[in-house]
Amino acid sequence: MRWSTEDIPSFVKERQYVDTVLLPLLPVEFGDGIRQSAAMTEFITVMTAELEKQFRGRILLAPSYTYLAADEESRPSSEELNKWIESMKKEKLKHIILLTADSSWKKAEHDLDAFLIWMPLVPLENLEASYKKQVISEQIKQLLPVIMDIWKKEGNS
Amino acid sequence: MSDEQNHNVSRRQFLTYTLTGVGGFMAAGIILPMARFAIDPVLQAESEGDMKAVTDVSELTDTPQRFDFSYEQEDAWNTSEVTETAFIYQSGEEIVALSNTCTHLGCKVSWGSSSDHPNQFYCPCHGGRYEKDGTNIEGTPPTEPLHKYQVEVREGTVYVGKAEPQV
Repeated sequence: MRWSTEDIPSFVKERQYVDTVLLPLLPVEFGDGIRQSAAMTEFITVMTAELEKQFRGRILLAPSYTYLAADEESRPSSEELNKWIESMKKEKLKHIILLTADSSWKKAEHDLDAFLIWMPLVPLENLEASYKKQVISEQIKQLLPVIMDIWKKEGNS
Repeated sequence: MSDEQNHNVSRRQFLTYTLTGVGGFMAAGIILPMARFAIDPVLQAESEGDMKAVTDVSELTDTPQRFDFSYEQEDAWNTSEVTETAFIYQSGEEIVALSNTCTHLGCKVSWGSSSDHPNQFYCPCHGGRYEKDGTNIEGTPPTEPLHKYQVEVREGTVYVGKAEPQV
C-alpha cells in the first residue's frame, strides 16, 4: 500500500494483514554527485513502486528516507535510521525491508535492525521506454523470491 | 416585364432572408453542441470501445498463461501508462481471461507458483488460492473469485476489456 490518502485508510483497516514496510534509502548530494543522486532516486523509486504493486496487500511503501550522501571514508549514520526502524517495529510492522542503490549502507548493514537490499544502479536515462520496462521487470523478477524468502524465514504473522 | 419583376428581391424580402439565415446559423451554433453533449455517451459507446489487443488465439492453450497489456491512464496530474496482466486460457470453445489481482488485498497472483498446489492460482502475500476458473478456495483469505475480463475475438486476435467481478 502506498503512503497516500487513498491507501492508508485500508492499511489502518487491514492492519493484521500488513506486516511489512518497504523503505527506500535515497542519498542526496548537491555537488558533483548530483547526477548519480538523481539516477539512484529514479531507479529506486521505480523499483519500490513496482514492488508495491506486486505485494500491495502485505507491504506498506513508506516515504523515502533521504540523507546527505556520505563521502568515501565515512559511512551513513545508522542511528537515525534505526530510530525509524524502531518506531515501525513498535507498530507491529515486523518485516522491514530497506532498498537502496547506495553501496555505503553495506558497511553499516550489521548495525541495522532490518533487511537491507542493495541493488547496483541501473542507469535508465538513455533507455527506450519499452527496453526500460523490460530491464525493470527483469530486476523485479529477481527480487520477488528474495522478499518471499524474508517472509518465510522471519515467520508469518 | 412582370416576370422580371418577380425575380427582383425587395429590400424587405432581402432583410427577412438574411436575418432568418443568420439567425438559423446562430441557433444551430448554440443547439448543436448542446445536443452533442446530451448524446455524448451514445457516441462513445459506438466507438471501438476500450478493448485492447492482447495476443493471438493460436497462442492459447488450456493452461492459463500470463499476458501483459498496457494502456494510458489519466490521473489528476499526469498521464501514465498502466500495465495489466491477465491469465488467459481456452476452456473448450470459450476463452477465459482472469485478472491477476488478488481479491483479498490486491497482491498479484500467479498460476501454479505454489509447489503444493500446482493447478491453482496462488497469492504470495497471505496464501490465497483460486481454482483454474478463478473460484476462491474456502479457508484461504480471499472472499470472492478473481475478476474476469470481457473477451472478444476479432480476426484471430484476442481483445480484452474491463475486468468484472464474477459474482
